[in-house]
Amino acid sequence: MTTTPDPMKPNMAQTTGPDVQVVETDAAVERRSKEAYFTASQGQLIWARFKKQRSAMIAACVLVFLILSGIFAPFISPYNPTIAGKNDEYTNGAPQIPMFCDVNGCSLRPFVHAVERERSMATNFRWVTTINEDERHYIYFFVEGWEYKLFGFIPMDTHLFGAPDGFVHVFGTDDAGKDIFSRTFHAIWTSLQVGTIGVLIAFVLALVIGGISGYYGGWIDSVLQMITDAVRTVPAIPLFMAVAAFMPPELSAEERFFYISLILGLIGWPTLARRVRTHLLTERNQEYVLAAQLCGASSGHVIRRHLLPSFTSYIIVDLVISFPYMVLSETALSFIGLGLKDPVNSLGVMLQNVTSADVLLNYQWYFIPVIFFIALVMAFVFVGDGLRDAADPYSDNNK
Amino acid sequence: MLNFARFVVTRAVLAMITLIIVSLVVFSLMELVPGDCAERYLAFKNTQGSGISAADIENERIRLGLDRPFLERWGKWIVNAFQGEFGDSCILRVDIAQLLGDKFWISLGLCLASLLLAYSIALPVGIIAAASDNAVLNNSLRLFSYLGLAMPNFLLALMIMLFSTVYFGDTLTGLFSAEYRDAPWSVDRVLDLLSNAWLPIFILGWSATAFALQTVRALMSDEIGKLYVTAASARGVHGRKLLWNYPARHALGPIVNSLGFDLNRIFNELPIVALILTLTEAGSLLIEALARSNDQQLAGAIIFLLTASIVTLNFLTDVLLAVLDPRVRKSIVR
Repeated sequence: MTTTPDPMKPNMAQTTGPDVQVVETDAAVERRSKEAYFTASQGQLIWARFKKQRSAMIAACVLVFLILSGIFAPFISPYNPTIAGKNDEYTNGAPQIPMFCDVNGCSLRPFVHAVERERSMATNFRWVTTINEDERHYIYFFVEGWEYKLFGFIPMDTHLFGAPDGFVHVFGTDDAGKDIFSRTFHAIWTSLQVGTIGVLIAFVLALVIGGISGYYGGWIDSVLQMITDAVRTVPAIPLFMAVAAFMPPELSAEERFFYISLILGLIGWPTLARRVRTHLLTERNQEYVLAAQLCGASSGHVIRRHLLPSFTSYIIVDLVISFPYMVLSETALSFIGLGLKDPVNSLGVMLQNVTSADVLLNYQWYFIPVIFFIALVMAFVFVGDGLRDAADPYSDNNK
Repeated sequence: MLNFARFVVTRAVLAMITLIIVSLVVFSLMELVPGDCAERYLAFKNTQGSGISAADIENERIRLGLDRPFLERWGKWIVNAFQGEFGDSCILRVDIAQLLGDKFWISLGLCLASLLLAYSIALPVGIIAAASDNAVLNNSLRLFSYLGLAMPNFLLALMIMLFSTVYFGDTLTGLFSAEYRDAPWSVDRVLDLLSNAWLPIFILGWSATAFALQTVRALMSDEIGKLYVTAASARGVHGRKLLWNYPARHALGPIVNSLGFDLNRIFNELPIVALILTLTEAGSLLIEALARSNDQQLAGAIIFLLTASIVTLNFLTDVLLAVLDPRVRKSIVR
């Protein structure tokens, strides 16, 4: 039986039997770790360096958590985030924190109190919401609720938690009675989608334009660089605003969503294109490119098979770094009112809701999505930063 | 000297070319708006009760010169734009130069002031942070820098406004007190502007400071590790003298170079801050033109002016760099 020896384990083939304790000398350990270092792929090296950075690892965990909660948003949210899931009885309602004890005693199962809404002579004919301390809504896990499609195709109606005999709003409700908890997680997902589509479009454009510019050099490079620089000097948000303002107002929510992503991509390419060009300019003079060209490889072949793989890791890092800017731009657009609009849940739409003085003074729970927004952007920036340090082969020398 | 003159002329020509490309982008965008100025003029007339016909629109188009080919109109627009003439606004139907007037200069002043604020904080703090080995200081600066990016500045503005409303009973919005809003320029009016402008300047400068801090720190810590610094300290230069005379001078070049992009970033935030603080300047006019009235002439003019000031700043920093660093003068094209 021949297996390739695992460089991380002592070589068992050299021992005589399973009972023999393998004692390695320090030199052997060091040799093995060096061997592992020299035979590791680029990806393994980056991962090894990335793991050493504590802040980046924490950020990566937060990021994975947020992305997963975005993907499983319909499962996590107890209610439909659109107007279909509104709670008429509890508009602008404060967050209901699940509790175990109240004046009537304790229970092992968490519960929230029921709320009642009343409008009468006694309340001066305004709707007044009161908490009924005597009625409990118990919270159960894996309850059945509104129907949704997990990943877009698995029909399901099970939710992580819910109160079968009432409503539970962990983050409170907005002015239409929509559950802010459900809206927040759907908003994260929408913003991630917009960002991903925007980054992908920008990436393809950057790859083509930066690739041509960097590979051919000469006057093509000069002209393309001049155009790239000119586009880069225009302040992006006013430009976004200008393009978004021309969006036909009769678009449906989905069309609007794609239009916004398209705009983000079409305006976000110059920075990426410049990086691609710089990578290419340094790589194309390397000897392995000359060797491939001497062998008669076509330009396309050299770019695809030799140049692109040489800086894939850098490109991935650049994509991660440019991601938060996409999310921020989407937020800015939606915030001004030129981006996504209210029936769609995006982080920008949620942020737009917090700007009124009414919310500031009376309904502070509207700010809960802001925390998620800041966490998402911070996580992306920290991970991007960590990846950049990890992808830099010389960063080891400084540490 | 001749080298220097050649450098300046080349840079000026490059800046002009950039502006012309930008004007093409902006002008094409203005053209893409559904409907043109002629339709908008007459739509207004229609609301006044006089009926209009397709022929009226056509006549109006000819009067405004909208029937000319695209390139001709673009040429005319750009020639006028360089002279500060942007024609009439489509909706408000007043001369744009007059409408913008002071407002644009106020905006530019606000942005430049926040740029100044950003660097007057970032330069000393960044240099000290790069020189010190204090992990707590460095990490907290890093966190602050990222917060500057992630924390939307409108949120900061809202917090400050809420705080001042609740605790001082004073709303910090607008740029002028009521009595100076339409008054002609005077010393009192300038003082009034300054007493109100600190909040937008602070909020615009907030994320700019964070970015500038990161740039300064990264450049300085790159330079500090280099051999000439070690050599200088081996010769007995130390302390502040070592920092300022050796690595700081080398790091200065890229910092000056990045000023243009910092201004760009501040312009990005201008409309949002203007919206929250209800400032009466170019940023809010831009939102007004784009989000509400669809006034392509006005929006185009503002975007062009913003970009022109970035290009001008880039040109000035290039010249400044050439003055500071003889190596830059010699290399005309990067």
